Amino acid sequence: MKLKKEIKFFINDREVIAKSGETILNVARREGFYIPTMCYLEKVNPIASCRLCLVDVEGSKGSILSCQTKPTEGIKVRTDSEYLYKHRQNIMKLYDVNHPLECGVCDKSGACELQNKTLEFGINCQDFSIREPHRQIENWGKIQYDPSLCILCERCVSTCNQAIGDDAIELKFGGYGSAIVLKDKTSQTLECSTCGECIAVCPVGALISTDFKYSSNAWELNKVPSVCTHCSAGCEIDYEIKHSSTLNHDAKIYRVTNNFENSSICGAGRFGFNFANVPNDEQNAKNLKNKKFDEVVNAVKKANTIIFNSHITNEEAFILQKLKEKLKLKLVNHEAYNLQKFLGAFSRSSGETLPNGKIEDVENADQIVVVGSRIIVENPQVRYAMTRAYKKNRAFISYMHPVYEPLLNNIVKQHIRYEVGTEEGVVALLSEALIGQVLKFDLDVGYVSGETNVGEEELARIYQIGKKSKKRILIVGSDIIAHEKRENIARFLGVMQKFSNIKILVVPEELNSFGVAKICQLDEKATGKTVGYNITGDYIISALKDIGHFSVPALNQQEGTIIDINHKVKKLNVAVSFNGQSLNDIANEIFDPIDCREYTIDRTRDIFNVDFDSLENIQIDSQEIEIDCTEMPNEISKLPTFDGTLVYNSRTYLEFNPFSAFDKNGKFNYENNLLIGSEQFATAGKIADGDEVEFEILGEKFKRKFKIDKDMRGVIALNPIFDKNLKAYQLSSSYKFQKVKIVKVAK
Amino acid sequence: MSLDAFKNRNIGSQNYVPVNIENYPTSGWDKFKQVVKRGVGKELFVGLWVVLREMLKFKIHTVQYPSEVLPIGPRYRAVHKLLRLLESGNERCIGCGLCEKICVADCIRMDTRVDENSRKEVVEYSINLGRCIFCGYCAEVCPELAIVHGSRYENVSEQRAHFVLKDDMLTPIDFLKQQKEFSGFGALSPNADQLVKKTPLAY
Ligand code: SF4
Ligand code: SF4
Ligand code: SF4
Ligand code: SF4
Ligand code: SF4
Ligand code: FES
Repeated sequence: MKLKKEIKFFINDREVIAKSGETILNVARREGFYIPTMCYLEKVNPIASCRLCLVDVEGSKGSILSCQTKPTEGIKVRTDSEYLYKHRQNIMKLYDVNHPLECGVCDKSGACELQNKTLEFGINCQDFSIREPHRQIENWGKIQYDPSLCILCERCVSTCNQAIGDDAIELKFGGYGSAIVLKDKTSQTLECSTCGECIAVCPVGALISTDFKYSSNAWELNKVPSVCTHCSAGCEIDYEIKHSSTLNHDAKIYRVTNNFENSSICGAGRFGFNFANVPNDEQNAKNLKNKKFDEVVNAVKKANTIIFNSHITNEEAFILQKLKEKLKLKLVNHEAYNLQKFLGAFSRSSGETLPNGKIEDVENADQIVVVGSRIIVENPQVRYAMTRAYKKNRAFISYMHPVYEPLLNNIVKQHIRYEVGTEEGVVALLSEALIGQVLKFDLDVGYVSGETNVGEEELARIYQIGKKSKKRILIVGSDIIAHEKRENIARFLGVMQKFSNIKILVVPEELNSFGVAKICQLDEKATGKTVGYNITGDYIISALKDIGHFSVPALNQQEGTIIDINHKVKKLNVAVSFNGQSLNDIANEIFDPIDCREYTIDRTRDIFNVDFDSLENIQIDSQEIEIDCTEMPNEISKLPTFDGTLVYNSRTYLEFNPFSAFDKNGKFNYENNLLIGSEQFATAGKIADGDEVEFEILGEKFKRKFKIDKDMRGVIALNPIFDKNLKAYQLSSSYKFQKVKIVKVAK
Repeated sequence: MSLDAFKNRNIGSQNYVPVNIENYPTSGWDKFKQVVKRGVGKELFVGLWVVLREMLKFKIHTVQYPSEVLPIGPRYRAVHKLLRLLESGNERCIGCGLCEKICVADCIRMDTRVDENSRKEVVEYSINLGRCIFCGYCAEVCPELAIVHGSRYENVSEQRAHFVLKDDMLTPIDFLKQQKEFSGFGALSPNADQLVKKTPLAY
């Protein structure tokens, strides 16, 4: 292709080469030339609002904006000159007009791009002035907007629109009175997924986090690079820590930040960091061998089963596996067990050990189908990649899920609400639509389409788009992995990967499902005495504050590794200390000396053959496996029906699990523990907004306050999964939709 | 000496008296003569007489510390004080953290939060005097003239903490009247008004 050509040109008399698609600014930055910018962000299209990045081109009249202009062969670019300096100085003068002199009480101070550039261009007084209109500080829940500090660079708007996809804010034009406003004029609060990316990208203190506000000056905080633990994306984040207070020297996390230039994180990662655990009173840190410690060691020794979930590191999973071998006990983790079964069937059909989709493939795709995942909360990073795919390549996105998701409306072309429980039929229909007839049996499209409620015209559309698209990806989520017929569904998907160019991306919900599935040999059912690790059991070992019998460090208090959905190994670091014992200490009491390790991370070597400290860039590659004959999907038997009122055990936009539900003071956030349903649900269940309701799922009783959400549709209500007794959390590792009988509690 | 005279640093206007000092003897013989003259001559007895005379008159010339304390220069840098605004009694410190940042001994710590009126409130402020080198940077950098060096140089107490928490340094609200506008280290120069360039106003 012609576009791929490299372009030679000159910056400040040095010859440089631009790769295809690169702007002058990109090349200049790569080559180490400095061009000041204020509105440029790598992750969105050039905004071109600040005009600081102006450069001169020899021979051409006027200057050009380097952030949005691509070089042509042989041009001579100058990034600095007397004229450019004056020009940039004038821009800074305008930015500074009537800018409040309140750096002393501004959260951005010390990390403020306006402050930096004002200093850089030596603006020390204001020579002219303009009448200042009254500007009101807006409170949008977790986000606060101060229009008098805003420099209208539009980074927030572009990020919300192009990188996140919520499209919740916009610029209100009005000359000197311009400001950022909510797009939804009927609402007072910001109704978005509250990712907080607008806060991160704002170069000044106009958008700030109300949780963080005034709690520390930016330069006092130390960054601890680590990985977010709330979903399978494992985003790279920095915990920013400082002593807890003047009189308490223990480190505390004040906020979480990310490399906002070229990545985005979600609200759970940004605001849900306060889950550091403290040892129980009886767990004396000084004396390792105390009564409480004997108790936990005995509990593990006597247990028949250890139940856990995938919110753990590889090292912890490895220790659990060793415990299983040593004590001959059962190891139960429903989600990872299901994933193992799913991947087993998948590889017998596809001939490869792992699905071949990556997050980058989503970003570059031109057709995306999501099935069986409420992707917006199950893996926001994949959703951001979908947004970018739509903004960059106008990708055609089909979102198939029983629950309507209003926030995806901006990017999704096809919203298909299939019947709960019919995932097998849905995937079978998709395989017909996407790769055509390769099955061994004739799919009764009419019947399956009727049962699943996926219309034939919709499938035809997917088929049409599929024919035109070069890069296609199918994203399957936790509802598929947890489904009874997971193995047959996996065979459909395996065949798709094998016989077509469609990539398959499997998105489990928990942090380290792939790691646990790789390391542990799991059992299907628990028997006898159980020990729960971060989950309910007869004896609970827990990293959650105030929960369980014995406390172990939470994931921001220990080093370890995880495997993300790209099958990459990532490292967690210690942000906050924990003065107690960990699973490794318990295991060392039980293991033979040869299996004992002083620290948990000494086990990294046992798993990956490298020391934790030197571990870098490990990618678990998919291997081809020898199969005699491809295992083809079986014919679909009768599809299940779920009638009546249903409850969906789901995450909410901000609370992904009990760990993310601690507020800034370290208190567990019960407030959001509602049952959220549509008006239709209220009518069907004969309940009203604000009623106390009771229901039972698989023998577990729940008591919730019912809340009507106008954006929801159908007779499915959301049951958030972050209870203090961990029951709903545990339920989220099996199939998330359940039939329930809602009973109103008499007042 | 009055405080005004103390503050006057303009050389030449004070009444300094030049002291006449005889030339020192240089040759060995001259030095010997001087020693003999001072040892057995009048000078020894003059000194003894003066001491005896003053003793008999009961006239005391030393400062009776601690019951009597000498005035100290306003630019002296002793234990810090946190000041209030004279009119409203509000705390001057806005919690900008510049003192915490600039402190060379890294001995200032402060806790801030949002108060009920959504303003930044400094809930605790402390200086570890065991590490402070009394350099005065904190007072100099403070944009609000909130942290200043006081004149309390007597660092005696049962606990070091007695000097250094916010309550100890802050002017008690009922002593507001006694608080003087600070003119010492870090204060604006008397001609500050002339140095400021005013921002033009549109109205
Ligand atoms: S936005 Fe920047 S320049 Fe403006 S008050 Fe805050 S720190 Fe100062
Ligand atoms: S709020 Fe911040 S990011 Fe948004 S336009 Fe204003 S200055 Fe730019
Ligand atoms: S929850 Fe997932 S998407 Fe959000 S920051 Fe954490 S890892 Fe990233
Ligand atoms: S006087 Fe100097 S050392 Fe002492 S607190 Fe102030 S800045 Fe720090
Ligand atoms: S420099 Fe002054 S105003 Fe700023 S925090 Fe220190 S004492 Fe307070
Ligand atoms: S960076 Fe180019 S216009 Fe702002």
